Amino acid sequence: MAATPGSVSFDGVGLDYRLYRDRNVTLMHTVMNLFGRGTSRSWFTALQDVSFRFEPGEAVALIGANGAGKSTCLKLLAGIYRPTLGTVSTAGRIASLLDLGVGFHPELTGSENVMLNGALLGLSQGEMKALMPGIASFAMLERFMDTPVKYYSAGMFMRLGFSLATSVDPDILLIDEVLAVGDASFQKRCHERIGGFRERGKTIVFVSHDPTAVKSLCERAVWLDSGRVRMDGPTGTVLEEYLASSGGRVQKHGAGITPREWGTREVFFERVSITDTGGTPASEFRPGEPVRVDTVISKVPGPPVDDVILGYSLHRPDGETVLSGNNLECGAPLLTVAGGMKASMLLKLAALEPGNYLLGISLTGNGTDYHWQDYMYTLSLLGERKPVPVKLESVEFRSDGT
Amino acid sequence: MTNLPLLMKSLVDKDLRVRYKRSVLGFLWFLLKPLFSMVVYTVVFTRIIRFGGAIEHFSLFLLTGLLPWNFFSASLSASTRTLLDNHRLIRSVYFPRAALPIAAVLANAVHMLLAMLVLVLLLWAWGHAPSPALLSVLPALLFLCCMTSGLSLALSIWNVYYRDVAQFLEVLLLAWFYASPVIYPLGSDVLPTKVEAVIRMNPLSGVFEMLHSSMYYGNWPPLWCWISGAAWAAGLLLLGLAVFRRYEPSVVKEL
Repeated sequence: MAATPGSVSFDGVGLDYRLYRDRNVTLMHTVMNLFGRGTSRSWFTALQDVSFRFEPGEAVALIGANGAGKSTCLKLLAGIYRPTLGTVSTAGRIASLLDLGVGFHPELTGSENVMLNGALLGLSQGEMKALMPGIASFAMLERFMDTPVKYYSAGMFMRLGFSLATSVDPDILLIDEVLAVGDASFQKRCHERIGGFRERGKTIVFVSHDPTAVKSLCERAVWLDSGRVRMDGPTGTVLEEYLASSGGRVQKHGAGITPREWGTREVFFERVSITDTGGTPASEFRPGEPVRVDTVISKVPGPPVDDVILGYSLHRPDGETVLSGNNLECGAPLLTVAGGMKASMLLKLAALEPGNYLLGISLTGNGTDYHWQDYMYTLSLLGERKPVPVKLESVEFRSDGT
Repeated sequence: MTNLPLLMKSLVDKDLRVRYKRSVLGFLWFLLKPLFSMVVYTVVFTRIIRFGGAIEHFSLFLLTGLLPWNFFSASLSASTRTLLDNHRLIRSVYFPRAALPIAAVLANAVHMLLAMLVLVLLLWAWGHAPSPALLSVLPALLFLCCMTSGLSLALSIWNVYYRDVAQFLEVLLLAWFYASPVIYPLGSDVLPTKVEAVIRMNPLSGVFEMLHSSMYYGNWPPLWCWISGAAWAAGLLLLGLAVFRRYEPSVVKEL
């Protein structure tokens, strides 16, 4: 067992997901299965025989294509998933920046939410009270701690989430993708704080698509490929191999970003349109207005292809990945492509930094890159009007006189 | 790592704070709902069907059963949804998942205890002065809480796998209400003997008899109530824990 706080070890870890091709989970379903009629249940191996050991104070990046198992590893580390095979052991307190502010209840105030989250993380009330001023001041929300968080703007919400997660003095810090928290100056302070954890010898596990961010934060990288460890070593060496094998599709920072398409095209996007919810093609989106990506997916003649992963990634104009995801991570059914089929994604984005972004989409699965459309679509995300922390319930004007 | 008592306290606290936001009557609703049903049942059973006439202060008798029943049904309905409602939390933080359904039960238990205190005062005002037998209310409520928690654990996790559970529960509660001695007493000539024998097998019968006899009649409950209550309490709680432990590791992947 790992004993020193901050150490992490994976020993022959395997993880299977049960997949539903069709999410109608009802008793009828089970009854059908009893009679051997249903074939809707199948298993997807997300990780297979993954072993590594991180020492306290190491900063390690997990890299790999969409669906390679990076996020699954983080969830195993956070104790959210339990491995199907093998053992995961961690020592010390873990802070995860996977889903900031997710435990916040809208009706509770900032400080009530901080106390509740402290209890979820296993801290005593005394400890949380002592941390409260620091959490409020880092998030720049001292004046709003007694306001219910439903009146917070998206930025305030994320700032409180980040401040809370990083204030509990973790031994291990889990970070998923670039931190898109708040405005540029707050982001700078986030990066400084994470740098501070490094200097104080905390263990950091970082998942990212962005080679620049990986290089600046981590000295070691683990390359995951289809749920297995493909390579484990110094960041420079691993990144070089990874970039070479992926045909240079992961752009170097600052290099010219041009739309590109590549892949085996056994399964491919036949038609793609970016529309608003009404189905009208669009490229400008107001805050909270969902971006709908409608695709028609087709395949070369032959047997149907199962377990196809449909992914998206959003980049800044300079190519830096802001966020990415896919149907597997979200627990949505994987695609079975038999002939032409329609699939769509509905992305609800809250742009903290309005401007132009590049959207890429991908079809992967079964260890194959079927079709990638990198930086293909330009989205213009319009800014949000900053909500006021005080909402006007009603106003009454009165006057007397004749 | 997790400080379980603190976690439970925080979750119950959150539940109570959130429930009555923007509600003028607030906590009073927990008392008002059974009071309204009491009025309805009193009218139905003394004016229309006329069987409650045999019991003096029939409305108070009803309330003795309706308050704990409301706790039972409200807890089960709330806890059955709780894992699904908190799926985002479960997918992003680790904490003992059983804390969620149990917190839903405890939040309702807080209400019930307060309401029962009010009921004791009401009974007193109508001449049912507290007797030493009133002490058996405490074990009766403990049994009821254990049964409710056990069922909540099992229902909450089954509901993740089969959404039918929540629907089925509504129907089940309707039938269970009439099959339990909530609004009628056992051991009188209200029920045919054969029916009564079946109803005594109901897990809730012992507990509700204990409550009626100690609060309303001021008598020590008969021995069979104690045995039935304790046995069902232990049995259902263990069953619930076993079911929860069995499914807990994989539940996050199903949410």
